[in-house]
Amino acid sequence: MSALLEMREKLRDIYSKGEVYLTPLFKFLLALVVLLSINANIGYMDRIAGNIIIPLIVALMCSFLPMNFIVLFGALFVCLNSYAVSLECGIVALAAFVLMFILYFRFSSKDTIVVALLPLMFMLKIPYIIPIAVGLLCTPLSVVSVACGTVAYYLVLFIKENAQTISDLETEEAIGKFRFVIDGLLGNQEIIIVLIAFSVIVITVYVIRMLSIDHSWTIGMCVGGVLGATILLIGDLSFDTHISLLSLILGMIASLLLAVGLQFFVFNVDYSRTEYVQFEDDEYYYYVKAVPKNSVPQTKVKVKKIH
Amino acid sequence: MINQERLRLMTKMAAYEADEGKKNMAIASYFRSDYMGLQIIKSIICATIAYLIIFGLFIYYDFETFMQDIYKMDLMAFGKNVLLYYVIFVVAYSLICYIVYSIRYYKAKKSLKKYYNRLKQLSAMYDLEKRKS
Repeated sequence: MSALLEMREKLRDIYSKGEVYLTPLFKFLLALVVLLSINANIGYMDRIAGNIIIPLIVALMCSFLPMNFIVLFGALFVCLNSYAVSLECGIVALAAFVLMFILYFRFSSKDTIVVALLPLMFMLKIPYIIPIAVGLLCTPLSVVSVACGTVAYYLVLFIKENAQTISDLETEEAIGKFRFVIDGLLGNQEIIIVLIAFSVIVITVYVIRMLSIDHSWTIGMCVGGVLGATILLIGDLSFDTHISLLSLILGMIASLLLAVGLQFFVFNVDYSRTEYVQFEDDEYYYYVKAVPKNSVPQTKVKVKKIH
Repeated sequence: MINQERLRLMTKMAAYEADEGKKNMAIASYFRSDYMGLQIIKSIICATIAYLIIFGLFIYYDFETFMQDIYKMDLMAFGKNVLLYYVIFVVAYSLICYIVYSIRYYKAKKSLKKYYNRLKQLSAMYDLEKRKS
């Protein structure tokens, strides 16, 4: 354990020393991965998906811009690629993203990155880490960010799976194409089940980790994960949404392990040394529970000069 | 000689000014009523744009039926319905924004109060140092 704690301190030290370079580097890598994965899935517009130069330039720009621009450029890439499939697809994608930005992200800009991360995690088959992490680190309001990310992923998935069908429809049938896209998205019961499951995970994890009980974070993530998986399974049995049981269980286990890793970096406390103190002032009585953080003193290297 | 306690305080204040403090100072530079009014106006504009987008999508989805029925339908009643839904949508969204921005204003004021206390502390430290020298 102490070796792990030492490693954590070293990592923190490395990051704080090289923050000026590391933050833009991480932003660049994240932007590049987001844009390339969009192009890999729905790269129907040759101008932006045909070569790597445009995603590379945009990712470089993102490394110097605020984090939200990754989502903005990602949304732009999705809209342009959808437009390449058909004008109606492009309109629906644009409308979805504009609604997200003007209704929600204008007053919750900190959570915007969830919209970029959630589709990526869906592709890696571990989407459950995002609602768990949001429940651990953010407020219940962030459930809207998770919902936006889920909608963004299913929009991309729908375009990917139905691009040929949409293209095959006659050009004169513009309204037919539009209806096909809207019906496909609104009629997809899997989206609703996933939205409910993720909302339950976020709220459960948040409520439990706020409780004044030992190991609240671990209990929160486990209960949230199990509840989420149960809702997904019940939804699958009731509406036949074709959610793979093996993928769900493995994805949930991997997500929980990642959440434990996250907890180690963000909330690492030693419950065995918990102290309960009680005192008063003129106005209140205080019943305080103090849980010490796990930490290791950094070894100081002394250089002795011998002349 | 460097006063370590003062240095620590100044570092904390500088870090606050650079990030959270910047936003909080911008918020607290308004009177509460002015700030809330501005945010509500912005919310109404955003809600109006969002409603227009949703309404546009709704009409386009049923465009053929809409064009067939346009001469038969009671346009006044249709207009009233559209307006009613618009008002409900805008009021609901503005209410949510009002709650969010009220909390944000309250938190900004509270956080700035702590910052001003630190400023006072710093000023007291300088005074003490002057008197000593």
